[in-house]
Amino acid sequence: MMHRVILLGLMLFCLLSGSAFAQTYTLSGTVTDSRSGEALIGVNIFVTELSGGATTDLEGRYEIPLSPGTYSLVVTYIGYRTQTTEVTITDSNVSRNFSLVLDRVDLDQVVVVGFGTRSLRDVTGSIATVSGEMIQNTPVNTLESAIQGRVAGIFIERETGKLGGATQVRIRGGSSVTGGNQPLYVIDGIPVTMDDLSANASATNPLSDINQNDIESIEILRDASAAAIYGSRASNGVILITTKRGREGRTQFSYSFQAGISEPTNQRGFLNTAEFFELYEEAARNRAIDDGVDPEVWLGLFYEDMEWLSAGEFRQFADGSWGWRDGVVDTNWEKEAFQSAGMFRHELSARGGNDRTRFFVSGSYSDETGILINNDFERIGARINLDHTVNDRFLIGMNLSTNRSVMNRLSSDNAFATPMQLVAQPPVTPIFDPRTCFDENEETIPGCTPILSGDFTEYYNGLLHRDYADYVTTVFRTIGGAYGDFRVSPNLNIRTEYGIDLLTQNEDQYYGALTARGVGGNEGQGLGFSRWVQIQNWTSQTFATYQNTFQDVHDLEVVGGFSAQRVTDTRSFVEGRGFPNDNFRRIASAAEIIGGSSSGSDYSFISYFSRLNYKYDEKYLLSLSGRVDGSSRFGVDNRYGFFPAASVGWIISEESFMRNATYFDLLKLRASYGITGNAAIGNFASRGLFSGTSYAGFSGINPSQSPNPDLRWEQTAQFDLGIDFGILGNRIRVEADYYVKNTRDLLLNVNVPATTGFTSQLRNVGKLENRGFEFTVNTFNLTGELQWTSNFNFTTNNNKITDLDGQVITAGFINRAIEGQPIGVFFTREYAGVDPETGSALYFVNSGDNPRETTTNPANATEVIVGDPNPDFIGGFGNNFFYKGIELNVLFQFVYGNDVYMPSGRFMSANAWFYDNQTKDQLKRWRQPGDVTDVPRPVLFRANGTAPSSRYIEDGSYLRLKNVTLAYNLPSAFLSNYGLDRMRVYFTGVNLLTFTKYPGWDPEVNTDFLAGNISQGTEFYSAPQARSFTFGIDIGF
Amino acid sequence: MKNTKFSILTLAVLLAGFLMISCDSLLDVDPQQSIDESDALSTPGNVQAALVGAYSQHRTGSQYGGRYMMLPDLLADAGDIAWTGTFFQPREVFDKVISADNSYTQSVWVGSYNTINRVNNVLSALDILDEQDRVRVEAESRFLRAAAHFELVRVFAKAYNDGNPTQNPGVPIVLTPTRGIDESSFLPRATVEEVYQAVIADLTFAKNNLPEANGVFANTFVASAFLARVHFMRGEYAQAATEATRVIGSGRYSLMPTFAGAFNNDGNVAETVYGMVVTPQDGTNELNLFYASSDFNGRGDIDILDQHLARYEAGDARADFFYTGGGARRSAKWQTFTNIPVIRLAELYLTRAESNLRAGTATGDSPASDLNAIRTRAGLAPLAAADVTVDAVLAERRVELAFEGHLLHDLKRTGRSIGDIPFNAAQLVYPIPQREMEVNPNLVQNPGYGN
Repeated sequence: MMHRVILLGLMLFCLLSGSAFAQTYTLSGTVTDSRSGEALIGVNIFVTELSGGATTDLEGRYEIPLSPGTYSLVVTYIGYRTQTTEVTITDSNVSRNFSLVLDRVDLDQVVVVGFGTRSLRDVTGSIATVSGEMIQNTPVNTLESAIQGRVAGIFIERETGKLGGATQVRIRGGSSVTGGNQPLYVIDGIPVTMDDLSANASATNPLSDINQNDIESIEILRDASAAAIYGSRASNGVILITTKRGREGRTQFSYSFQAGISEPTNQRGFLNTAEFFELYEEAARNRAIDDGVDPEVWLGLFYEDMEWLSAGEFRQFADGSWGWRDGVVDTNWEKEAFQSAGMFRHELSARGGNDRTRFFVSGSYSDETGILINNDFERIGARINLDHTVNDRFLIGMNLSTNRSVMNRLSSDNAFATPMQLVAQPPVTPIFDPRTCFDENEETIPGCTPILSGDFTEYYNGLLHRDYADYVTTVFRTIGGAYGDFRVSPNLNIRTEYGIDLLTQNEDQYYGALTARGVGGNEGQGLGFSRWVQIQNWTSQTFATYQNTFQDVHDLEVVGGFSAQRVTDTRSFVEGRGFPNDNFRRIASAAEIIGGSSSGSDYSFISYFSRLNYKYDEKYLLSLSGRVDGSSRFGVDNRYGFFPAASVGWIISEESFMRNATYFDLLKLRASYGITGNAAIGNFASRGLFSGTSYAGFSGINPSQSPNPDLRWEQTAQFDLGIDFGILGNRIRVEADYYVKNTRDLLLNVNVPATTGFTSQLRNVGKLENRGFEFTVNTFNLTGELQWTSNFNFTTNNNKITDLDGQVITAGFINRAIEGQPIGVFFTREYAGVDPETGSALYFVNSGDNPRETTTNPANATEVIVGDPNPDFIGGFGNNFFYKGIELNVLFQFVYGNDVYMPSGRFMSANAWFYDNQTKDQLKRWRQPGDVTDVPRPVLFRANGTAPSSRYIEDGSYLRLKNVTLAYNLPSAFLSNYGLDRMRVYFTGVNLLTFTKYPGWDPEVNTDFLAGNISQGTEFYSAPQARSFTFGIDIGF
Repeated sequence: MKNTKFSILTLAVLLAGFLMISCDSLLDVDPQQSIDESDALSTPGNVQAALVGAYSQHRTGSQYGGRYMMLPDLLADAGDIAWTGTFFQPREVFDKVISADNSYTQSVWVGSYNTINRVNNVLSALDILDEQDRVRVEAESRFLRAAAHFELVRVFAKAYNDGNPTQNPGVPIVLTPTRGIDESSFLPRATVEEVYQAVIADLTFAKNNLPEANGVFANTFVASAFLARVHFMRGEYAQAATEATRVIGSGRYSLMPTFAGAFNNDGNVAETVYGMVVTPQDGTNELNLFYASSDFNGRGDIDILDQHLARYEAGDARADFFYTGGGARRSAKWQTFTNIPVIRLAELYLTRAESNLRAGTATGDSPASDLNAIRTRAGLAPLAAADVTVDAVLAERRVELAFEGHLLHDLKRTGRSIGDIPFNAAQLVYPIPQREMEVNPNLVQNPGYGN
């Protein structure tokens, strides 16, 4: 490319100098992209009168010597709208800048594939690309969230609204039942560490250490043909992340700043004190009726408990009034779980270089406060990517990023201390204990500040955690690599890469004496916990690329190489108790060390890989790839596996018979088939093991795992059929794929009789299937002054477990893996509503001769499949408008057909079973014979409809206004006065609107402490997602 | 010249790459916290360690760390206590409507058989041991195995005195270690009688071969104390009295001067015949977890109601062994995260008193003096011999041994109802865990739980 530019320039120079008999002047200027303001290189400026012109150089500049006269200029550039204009030269040099407008998909776009790059036109596999520009400055905590809804075939779900929390990513469905289901992430050639290193059950997200603004592009390898070169780790797809590199030319600086606020997407609303009493007094009376006793018996007990729960505020005052009746306490505990949230981010980067050395450096700092109390995230990071041309054959370079993030994290969803569990407190309970400000006559002491309510609350008061505990997680992450690239001959290249991903995580937890009730082992003395985890992950790979064209029509590219990887995981922790006071939070001040440990584990891979790409006459494409993977994780009898793939493509639009069919700018058919593996299993899962243990100060050992020397990777055979076409001058571009993924040798923790002393054994049994359809259409609806582009993507995936060796695997609360069903179906009793005569909850018997008979006894109701957490389809719809520097991007994202189970409903929507505050809908309870309602008759302390059942399963479909950005790019003519290349000010809203029938907090949910392959779609006091409003400014100079 | 330089460089790069990965040894990675099965039982030290490993399971929360005691007490309650906790599994037990998939009752099954497998591993490697350790290790192992089988059959099968124990299904008896999963892994339920016989055989061996002193581990008197429990359940009162006498008469144990002194101790005290060692670094105490209020490291899930207090005579020191925490009355027996007394000498006095009364014997001592030893320690006046009836002893047992896991078994063996639920009601037997029913076709479910 570069050579062509220079050549063309020389030719033009010769041409023009030949005619230089008259006085000449210079027409010059720069050509930039109308949106980004970035210089465009190689743009053709054609002077009609001369039948020639110039192309722009590396900085987007051009120069044309012209004698006086009037000329028409045609400015053309692939993918951009052609501009024509006239220019008149009289007696001086003329400057003329062009700002080109993006017109259509660039078919010659280069995409990153494993161990190389390839023109999009020649790709035979299924690869989706997200450009860095698309996700730049998206104000979300992790980059997966930034691509949510933008790409077909990938389902992204944040577990909860906790900052820095885990995100589930599924490319073409989950291919495993017990193994990992997350894709392989490769950043600049390094398969990075994606393990959750959290000390508690709320997983952390290792991708939150990546600065998304450093990203040049993300490629998602969906089918076997694209992914098989990653062998035994490719079954769940591969995500290749390429960071920005330097460019030859003037050093371009970029500064960006963002600031925003956020709030929960939804608050549910719970009973206030008056409603609470209405419901619970009725429940107490009902209980008395059922027990055949005087109502006062149960009302009395209820009032007594309320007096306790309201810390005396429920007492009767001297004038005979009751505290609660006068509204003394009416606490909205739900509100207390949240805080006012916001974020800001600064970032500065520079990009440039000369013909020998090119660089990209960036530094960023961000500070986010989460929507939940005690939750924040701070990150500081820097990157340097460097390339140096030693000579025309030898290229070396490196990339290095280092990050430190500090998070204040939260307990997992099942802990009383987690903020969302505050909603369980009855509204009569005050936040502050009024008794701490009573004098001996039980009169309030004026001016006294009461302390946070502690022991008398129904459940541990999580606000004590806010004030007297902390859980600081600090992550140090360095990902770095170096490469050497040597061109042996014009056709042969050899490249060696070494990389390391060093992840060090420290978790320091401190729980003050006052948190004793919520923290096991605290004993009112204060508890501290400190843990260090380090994962050293190094990779080495060397590969050769041979490329040649024979007889003008045979294009051949062959890649072959080998790689090795070793991951070492070391951990240690110490736990201490007894702190002088809350000012001492390190274990150095603990009176007693009550626990400590250190441990280590390793695994390794050795791989050999190869790929052949062949193209005949720009029409017929063939790609073959294979990888041999060996891993320390596999059983001795099955140490190496072979993973081949083949794909073909036919660019029909290049055929002579299609030449006249001008409506097709591109028509391509693709087909691929290949085998990939999944090695995301435990490090020593194949072995029979004894582990260490102890009793009473004596050390011991015990059998911990039964052996399975045959254990191997899961194997997925995937077939993909795709069509790509572009019509109307590529203004409509469609990509559609149909795939069938058959996974066999599923790694299953097969249940075995517990009488053996083991409950399960990991075996390769079982099969599952994912089949689905992906459809993406990109359109350029308007290409005039007002540009309008759209992207619509739509994905279906049908998961079905075809063989589990007769097993039923349970997980989560009621999720199951059952043969013939999608993974994770909800299996429990079927709720039949409320008997209008008695108010009793009814369940379908679902067994015997009359399965639709109902019963009031949950024990007599057979459990059946009552829901499915897997969506029927997902997708996104984005529209981008651009008018004279004003930009509007609107992205909708949708998920349809999935169910969500809310086991927390058994406490909070339980028709006044216990004193947990109830959701407002419980007021619609059955009251008298004839009432038709879904909410059974409340009976205090007596279960009525609260057994696990489909009563607590809801439709989790939603349509969400995911992202709205309104931006203004200041005119470059104005900016150049200030020495600026570009300036963009914008507003971005995330999760602004959610349309759903789901009654819980947020339908995008999967409770963090259980989330897994089978345990899906469960809400258990899970925090809603954040809705955020962000203002930002981007400056280039 | 230049070309040579770069050829060398290329070669170096290639070589470095090859060297890094050409050897397969990179794949030879060993675990750091575990050892291979084949090495595990190869030395005397390892076999002894495996025995400690069996104790470390025996003391977990699913077994003597709590659930062997707490769950039967919840199931046996009729108004003395209230389960107010949020965990629905214990609540199901308390409500006497246990789901077959109740994870707490399941954990009793799973945990107990885990202990049994650990024990059977030890028993399979006795040859490795030195002569002087071999018999003791075998006896301790068989004691642990007996205790697990005994606790299982008491809760997962009909009571011994309910119908015909030689026909009622008990629980599977496992006497060999698991080396792999095969057809022999799918065991049916032995009869109640067969399980009891296996328990008696193991305990008798243990009793005959265990030393008198064995630190915190089981000794011969612990085996006798368990035999007393076993015979008691079978209504074999003479044997129960004999075994109790062997423990009491050993002179190794004595009642603590005060009732309170028997509980919440960091170590085993004179009254503790057998206790689980619990330290902050090591051990579980689920009784503390569920009975104690949050001020004492517990969840405060079990309230003690007035009906229970009414069982104490005026002046009974044991009636004061309660405290208020988290808004309700709590038993002080499990107030701290310390050792759990599994068998106290007091139990053996009461067992002997009742056995002698029922058998019309006076093995060891008279029922009156046994009973009064307990009463006077509690600050009560001794009862006249004429007033020392079976009912009086049972009433004493109820208060002395409350919340220590005896009530359900006492009610069942004496055929007494729980409120208006007869002792042999199906709901007073745990379901065979659903996971086990699903995985092992040779099992039959208990009545009242479907199938």
